[in-house]
Amino acid sequence: MSDFWQLVTNENMKIYRRPRTWIMLGVLLAITAAVPISIFAFEEGGLSMWMPFQVNTSMSVVLVTVFAVVLSAESVAGEFSSGTIKLLLIRPWSRSKLLLSKYIALLLFALLFMVGMLAWNLGLNALLFGYDGSNEMGSLSALNYFLQTYLFEFITLVVIVTISFLISTVFRSGGLAIGLSIFLLLIGSAISGMLSLLDYAWVKYLLFVNLDLTTYIGGGSSMIEGTSLGFSLAVLAAYYVVFVVITWIVFSKRDVAA
Amino acid sequence: MAEPIQAPPAQHAGREDEPVVQMRGVTKRIGKRKLIDNLTLDVPAGEVFGFLGPNGAGKTTTIRMMVGLMRLSEGEIIIRGQSISTAYEQAIRHVGAIVENPEMYKYLTGYQNLLHFARMIPGISRQRIEEVVELVGLKARIHDKVKTYSLGMRQRLGVAQAIMHKPSLLILDEPTNGLDPAGIRELRDYLRLLARNEGITVFVSSHLLSEMELMCDRVAIIQNGRLVDVRPIARGTDAHAAAVTVLLDVDRADEARQLLAEAGAIIEGGLLRLEADRETVANINARLVGAGFKVYGIRTQAKSLEDQFLEMTGGERIV
Ligand SMILES: Nc1ncnc2c1ncn2[C@@H]1O[C@H](COP(=O)(O)OP(=O)(O)O)[C@@H](O)[C@H]1O
Ligand SMILES: [Mg+2]
Repeated sequence: MSDFWQLVTNENMKIYRRPRTWIMLGVLLAITAAVPISIFAFEEGGLSMWMPFQVNTSMSVVLVTVFAVVLSAESVAGEFSSGTIKLLLIRPWSRSKLLLSKYIALLLFALLFMVGMLAWNLGLNALLFGYDGSNEMGSLSALNYFLQTYLFEFITLVVIVTISFLISTVFRSGGLAIGLSIFLLLIGSAISGMLSLLDYAWVKYLLFVNLDLTTYIGGGSSMIEGTSLGFSLAVLAAYYVVFVVITWIVFSKRDVAA
Repeated sequence: MAEPIQAPPAQHAGREDEPVVQMRGVTKRIGKRKLIDNLTLDVPAGEVFGFLGPNGAGKTTTIRMMVGLMRLSEGEIIIRGQSISTAYEQAIRHVGAIVENPEMYKYLTGYQNLLHFARMIPGISRQRIEEVVELVGLKARIHDKVKTYSLGMRQRLGVAQAIMHKPSLLILDEPTNGLDPAGIRELRDYLRLLARNEGITVFVSSHLLSEMELMCDRVAIIQNGRLVDVRPIARGTDAHAAAVTVLLDVDRADEARQLLAEAGAIIEGGLLRLEADRETVANINARLVGAGFKVYGIRTQAKSLEDQFLEMTGGERIV
């Protein structure tokens, strides 16, 4: 089993030895620093750190999701387009384990960046505005509220990254994978708003009406009738299993003629 | 139809005298087309084995099936006693390969690329990596990014990753493509060296006859997905050289022909002409001299692979 981690180490090397990963990190840090610093420069005083923190959080979540989707899209499709897939596959490893090592490396990247941004945003805003332990978001403390936000956004991210991984594997096209998954991420909530007006029972089983889990934080509800946190998690889990099964079957069975 | 093949018992795996690769009735169908049609072939251990055929004959497709990149529609490929279809991980362990171009991660250095592939196979030490880097002559540039490498250097890096785990079978798909004559010569000498000194069996494909003749001990010829023939390559220094055409200049040619009738001698342009292998040539000479003939000259004409190929395929050009 320790050998399997060698595969993950390889995938990590392919992620972190590329300049683009560090450019992504640079972009994230620069943008999330710019917001609180400019607010700090112009505000009169007495502003709670949670206001700029919230702005930072939404930006970080979107950017980390987009970056993870980009890496996910390239992970398999990139091996095909560069031709390296051939040398990768002709080793004493099953295709499913090779694919798993790629997937784990992607999730580790997303986790690292998500937790990293949480810590960075917290630290930066507390430093500039002073730590505010009194502020409440509804019935929850601000800290509790935002920890749940990061957790739920991470779950959504995993689903989106898995879709990107699926498209990348099935169509071997990184561009298509990026396009479709980002489309789903950005347009999904708008479509679900429109669909919520329709009074069909099947609407609540659609993937994208269940993607935004943050509406349930602190006992909130979504726009769609008959849903709950548990329901949405169950729907996402069902889609997730289907995506993963398709991805693994296609990757394991298909001829490689790249 | 594929013959039913029993999986050999484990202790047979890798026996010295057993062919390294056994293909039995290998067939690949895509849609209605048969890309490979009932290919049955043994690759003997320790040889440089050529796989010759014109472009589109099915060389790459066959190699893809040998290394598990493509599934077989029918038949079986056994490498060192293990089936590539049912015991992939055990079978591929003995294989090093470059399929078509030696594509590496361009954004990594040569060394990082080797490290990457070394991690995938247990038992490759850093020292072994250094050793193969030295062997393929990339020491000075191994810590540069692969995108700065010339094609020849990439080819050598490809060979390095293929031999790093000391495979018993090295598979190379048209390795001389894009190399200059010096590079081709270097590769050729190097492959023969690997076969001779390290006992590695080399399976090498090409569409160039001349190249195969210089490089290989044996050549399988494939055309339109079908095996046309498998022939040993005659080599001047080889004691088991195949039959060559021998021309003898003797006095009393007609009588000599009668003496050698059972050897199939004929008279052609005043010379005695027959087919014989190396040992037989010596024996014939002794018999003629012993019978009081004067032998003024003996000339052998090794049949080139091209002649053989043209003979077999009825004049259809290969290149
Ligand atoms: N994935 C594929 N689908 C359909 N036909 C293919 C595929 N790959 C190769 N072929 C066809 O199979 C034949 C053999 O190709 P290939 O094995 O690449 O030949 P070679 O390597 O000997 O030049 C060619 O006619 C080629 O067009
Ligand atoms: Mg080819």
